[in-house]
Parts: sequence; C-alpha cells; structure tokens
Amino acid sequence: MPFLQLSGLTKRFGDVVAVEDFSLAVEKGEFVSLLGPSGCGKTTTLQMIAGFEQPTSGHIMLNGRHLEEVPARNRGLGIVFQTYALFPHMTVEENVAFGLEMRGIDKKERARKVAGALELVQLAHLAKRYPRAMSGGQRQRVALARALVIEPELLLLDEPLSNLDAKLREEMQLELRRIQQEAGVTTLLVTHDQNEAMALSDRVAVMHHGRLMQQETPFHVYENPKSSFISTFLGKTNSLTATLKTTNDEGSALVCNGMELAGPPAHLRPGPITVSLRPERIEIVEAGEAVVSGPVIERIFLGDQWLFRIETPIGPLLVVRRNRGQREPEHGETVHLAWTPHHLRLLPKEDEAA
Amino acid sequence: MRHNGLFAKAFSVLFAVFMLAPLVVVIGVSFTPEGFLEFPPSGLSLRWFRAILDNPDFIEAAWVSLQLGVASATVSSIFAVPAALAIGRGRFPGRDALQAFFLSPLTVPTVVLGIAFLRFLSFLNANGTFVGLMLCHAIIIMPFILRLVLASVTGLDRSQEQAAVSLGASDWTVFRRVTLPAIMPGVIGGWVLAFITSFDELTVTVFIVSPTTTTLPVRLFSHITQTTDPLVASISTVAILFTVGLMFLVDRIYGLDRLLIGEGAR
Repeated sequence: MPFLQLSGLTKRFGDVVAVEDFSLAVEKGEFVSLLGPSGCGKTTTLQMIAGFEQPTSGHIMLNGRHLEEVPARNRGLGIVFQTYALFPHMTVEENVAFGLEMRGIDKKERARKVAGALELVQLAHLAKRYPRAMSGGQRQRVALARALVIEPELLLLDEPLSNLDAKLREEMQLELRRIQQEAGVTTLLVTHDQNEAMALSDRVAVMHHGRLMQQETPFHVYENPKSSFISTFLGKTNSLTATLKTTNDEGSALVCNGMELAGPPAHLRPGPITVSLRPERIEIVEAGEAVVSGPVIERIFLGDQWLFRIETPIGPLLVVRRNRGQREPEHGETVHLAWTPHHLRLLPKEDEAA
Repeated sequence: MRHNGLFAKAFSVLFAVFMLAPLVVVIGVSFTPEGFLEFPPSGLSLRWFRAILDNPDFIEAAWVSLQLGVASATVSSIFAVPAALAIGRGRFPGRDALQAFFLSPLTVPTVVLGIAFLRFLSFLNANGTFVGLMLCHAIIIMPFILRLVLASVTGLDRSQEQAAVSLGASDWTVFRRVTLPAIMPGVIGGWVLAFITSFDELTVTVFIVSPTTTTLPVRLFSHITQTTDPLVASISTVAILFTVGLMFLVDRIYGLDRLLIGEGAR
C-alpha cells in the first residue's frame, strides 16, 4: 500500500470538470510534482488533498487513513502557499510556533522546535522580525519552516517558487531539495514550471485538462513523452506533422512534407502522426551526411549554448548547440543537419491522445 | 507636489480656507468677553468656557452623546464585521440585496428615518430610552463601518486563513488570530468614523430624544433656537478640541498598528 494514494479523484464545479478520474500513488519520503499549464486541475487536486475542496468523487488515502472524511484542520499536513500566506501581525517566531500552539505543545518544547525549524531553513537570526521586513526568499523559508515544524506526514507545495526572481528561484530549488531530504518528508509539489518539476522531483505527474497524462521520473518523461502535448510542455522540441507509412521491429518509414525519413519502431497504426525531435539531438554535419539542409534564419546566443532556427524542407527546425567557444554558423549560412533515427519520438496526433 | 500649477495651488488653499474658516470663527467667537456673538472678538476671555460649568445640562448632554457614540459604534461594529465577511467573500443569492440593505441608511432621507424610528420606538414603548436611541444610531452609522470593513475584507488573502486551518486552528481561532487582526485597521477606522457620526447626529436624533437622553447636538440646537449667546461657541470649541484629540489618538494607534503589521523590524 503506497503512503499516499489518490484514486479516481474527480472534482466538478457545476458543468466544469476541473479534475477527472485522477489516480496517483506516492511512496513515503518521495518528492512528486504535479506539473501542468494553468487550469489543468493541479491546484484543485492539491486543495482536495489539503481539505479546502471536497472531491465530487474518489478517495484520498494517507498512511492508511481516509483523508476525505477528516476536516482540513485535523489532517496534519504542511502546506506552503504561493503567496506564502504568513501572518503579517506575527513575528517569524510566532508564525512558526502557530501550529505547535494549536497542538497544545507547552512553551519550552515549542521554543525548542521553532528554533530547530528556523535552524533548518537558516533563519535563526531573524526570529524576531516581521514578515514585511523580509525578502521574498526569506519569507519562503519562513513558510517552509512553519509547515515543517508540525512534522507533517505530507508536505504540499503550491507553486512555492513562482514569486521569486529567476536567480533566487534556482538557489531556492537546491535549498528546497536539501530541506526536503533533511526532513525526510513526503512531498507533493504543484507547479507549471517544468524546470522546477524536473530539478526537484523524484517523479513528475503531468496533468492536462484535469487528467493525468503521464507519471514517471523526470528523465523518463522527458525522453519518452507519451503525447505531443507532454513533449512540447517538458522542454523544447520540434513537433513535426508526418505520415507513418510502415513500421516493424527494425524501424519505421515516415513521410514528412513529401520527404522520406527513417524512424524508430512505433506502436502506432500507419497514418498521420506527430514526430517530436529534441533540438539538442540534431547535429550539424558535412553536406554528404545531411538528412536535411537549409539556411539559418535565427541565431540566438544564450551564454552556455546557441539556439538556431533553420529553414528546412520538413519545416523550420530548432537546433541547440553547446557553446564550446568555436565558430558557429552565421545568419543566412546554409547548414546540414542530421540525427540518428532513434532520437525521433513518434506520437499519436494530439486530438487522438486527448 | 512641485509640479502643481498655480491654479491647483490656489484651489487647494481656497479649499482649505473654506473648510477651516467656520471653525476659526467659532473658536474666535468663544473667547469673546461680550454677551453676544462677535467676530473678531473685542478681547480675550474665558468667560464663556466658565459658563459651561454653570450649565450642567450641557455637560450631561455631552456625557450622553459620548456614551451613545461609544455604545452605538461598538454595537454596530459587532454586526458590521460578520456582515462584511459574508458580503465580501460569500457567493450566495441576495448578496447584493443584503449589501444594499445594510447601506440603505445612507440613501433614505434622515427626516424620513427620524419619523420612522419615532413611530417604531413608540410602538415598542421604548421612546426616549437610551437603548432605543442607541439602536437607532447603530443603524444610521452601520454603512460607515460596513464600507471600511468591507474594503479590508476584500483585500484579504484567503490563503492566510487556509494556512491557519492547515496548522490545526478551529474556525473561531482562525477568526480571532488571523482574520480579525488582518481587518483590524478597517474596523478601527470604521468605529471612529461611526463614533463621530453618532456624536454629531442631529436630524434623526431630534425626533427620538427625551429630556433625560438629550444629546449634545440636540441640546445646542434647542439652545440657539432660544438665545444666541457665545455659550454655543465655547461648547463647540471644546467639541472641536475633543475631536482633534481623538483623531490624533487614532493616528497614534493606527500608526502604531501599521508599524506592528508593517515595517516592524527593530
């Protein structure tokens, strides 16, 4: 029996289905992300686990307890909100102590636990401050300390890093992972940021239109997306429309914009499909080895890498090249591109996948 | 501010003069040594301030007004806070109607309200009682509190309350420890505004007072219908000073409050 088990979870608001038949199992100590665009139902799912929304149907089991029958205040979950939701009229210390106070823990023990929690998030020196006098990153840590000090069975994070600027967000990602592992708490993160989900979690559950699309390790989801939605949502990709001619154990034959291409074996019926090709898998080669060729129409320098858009017979292709300090193709220069067929991902056309 | 044109400056000055001139005149008149209203006063005398002490009925009326203001503003707040919470965040049929109902004392002519209260209190046999008067004031001042509390409820972050619930707080604890402190500036502001409105109320009150529950505005009003001595001016001056003092106090508390919520770093 998994530690947290969501089964057939459904939430309807009138005629609108926010979450449909959502099932997910999370093991003890695991860090799982619910990833999806806004409106995909991930926040509603979190709200149902937290007890702020009542599921229309389905079950939530945590450590053998039926959570849906427990009022929100008795669920004992740690929650970090997108806006941090710190109590502005209380000091950091008082904020963190709130949950312990509600549990009737005596003053001495409370002070000891608060100090421990603030130590964990490295804010012990700011215990007497008020939240307004703190930076976004510091407030984030207070919120985390407040959620962790009650030693929750489950930590819920609702877009916790989305209000931070890019640099701080990266720092906090590492920090969040460290704190989660140190506390050893089972964690569910809700985010629309694929980088965040991939960097932090043991497993990613991709949601779309209220449904679970795929749940695997970040590497697996990135490498083997089940649909073209996932392939475009997780990382950059070239999505090409193609027709699958034949397929067998050896490989497959595709036609894309009138051009014949070789692909990997596919579990699809011949017909129209979507082909996903990651930009970092495309090589720039000599003219003789080229699969397609074309001029550079866009050239963007990103520091550690170059981003090219190349006009080819099968459509414009995005190509990413690591910056190794060597000369890269100029704007308008014709380049020759190649890739090994097994880097292509053959996916059902989107309307069939939904 | 430096960019304000001459016209804007002149307008501001004129506006301030227009607002303050009557107060200056009243305060000036109250220091006259003469037995009639004169401005500017021909000398400086505290004669009319001493006269207040010789007229205990004014002091009694002021005392009634003070009690009335405190009681009605408090009672009204007790009703306005839950009402504002329901209207500000609830989604139920009749929400707009409820809000219109609570704000209606602003739109109904005060004379009509006065007659209605008079009829109603007579019907209840509560005419001229302090409680009757207090309830009528509580109704009249309700919109002032409701609007200020409503403004702070609308700006409230719901997740603060959810956070408190997730940490194990009961509904009442959430209200007491999280919601109420968050809307406190609105409640205090509304209470003060309501108190001043009640303290100042004449039109409705005239209909429903009795000799034992006469308020200061009513007492002043009946005094100037009979005589025109500078006593009204000196009493008004005391009332003005009292109001200024109250505003100063609120500013201190409010400022302190904001300090506690806001840049409270020491």
